[in-house]
Amino acid sequence: MSTTAVVARPADGRDLRAVLAELLKLKHIIGGLVVAPDGLVIAANLPREVQAEPLSALVAALGRELELRGPRLRRGTFPTAVFASVSGSAFLGNTPVGYIVLLGEPRADWDVVRSGLRGALGTVYRAWAG
Amino acid sequence: MLFARIWHLVRGKKRQPTGTLMLRQVQRLRDEGRYRRAAGLVDEALLHDPSSVVGHLLAASLHMVLRETGQARTSFERVLALEPTQPRALLGLARVELEDGEAAACCALLNRALARYPDFPEARALLEVAQELLATAEATRDATSTGAVYADRLRLPVESREALFMRADATVIVAEPHGPRTDAVAAHAVKLATVATAMLGRAGLGPLRHAVIEGAAETTYLRRDDAALLTLSFDRDVKSATALEHLERMWRRCRSELA
Repeated sequence: MSTTAVVARPADGRDLRAVLAELLKLKHIIGGLVVAPDGLVIAANLPREVQAEPLSALVAALGRELELRGPRLRRGTFPTAVFASVSGSAFLGNTPVGYIVLLGEPRADWDVVRSGLRGALGTVYRAWAG
Repeated sequence: MLFARIWHLVRGKKRQPTGTLMLRQVQRLRDEGRYRRAAGLVDEALLHDPSSVVGHLLAASLHMVLRETGQARTSFERVLALEPTQPRALLGLARVELEDGEAAACCALLNRALARYPDFPEARALLEVAQELLATAEATRDATSTGAVYADRLRLPVESREALFMRADATVIVAEPHGPRTDAVAAHAVKLATVATAMLGRAGLGPLRHAVIEGAAETTYLRRDDAALLTLSFDRDVKSATALEHLERMWRRCRSELA
């Protein structure tokens, strides 16, 4: 696993690296990253073969697309989304400071990951709203 | 003499920090997530030094984080007026163009960036997406309708609020309900699928096959292969297992109609 961290934050609910570290403990999650809406990597812990920067550029583009138009051209927030292929899934969560992405094996359970992701999003919202 | 020294001290205390110091402070505020304060300070810094590339870049980045795309565009354009091949500004403006549905303009900016900086993985990743969107748009323009499949023949699930089945080039085959925005919704669904497939590819996973997107009032389920794409929207209270069953059933029917 390679680790990148651009933003240094003190430890509390605002520490997005700590939020990501907790989420990486979910079953069958193999990596993840937090990306600012401008595409900047805030925190990443990814499998060695995955480059953070191109992935973050695409995460930001996808996140913004969902924020702006949703899947049906309806503007509004999306709390979570999952995009799956035959070899795994990317779970996406939306926060005011950016997007949290978790990469999962095909066995990763959407309901379990969504529940964990929702909890983390709530923590981030509360911490960054204050 | 004494008065002059006191005056110097007072003036020294009141003196504005230099542009560089202010921008350093902006960066610190940004890292702390105090985006509004950072944006205010960068505006002030730019009043002192309107030709600061770093200042305009920071302003653009803050506007993007605050989801102020129009202002971000202006800041990126200011950077490029000062430094025409500034890679971060080219990438940032390309992202804004992609957001605005201007794939050709996005490609042009990314090609400019890559001509100057060939080792620029973010630009390359976005360029692949923009090129595919351009190709899809051209294919849609050239496509001739083969005739719509009647939605009632496909027996859409009663719980479904909206259903849309299309070819990979966004040519609509089934839309329920069908309206003036249907083609735009189909194009958007294809755009989402294209970006998501690129993202999955960069994550070392295969092309997009399924997606579930939660919205404020509804959840959209998506099924896709290389030839076609289906989306079904349900109220949020419909259980995901039920929705996924409907999605698979509809997908099989739609694909057999298409075949």
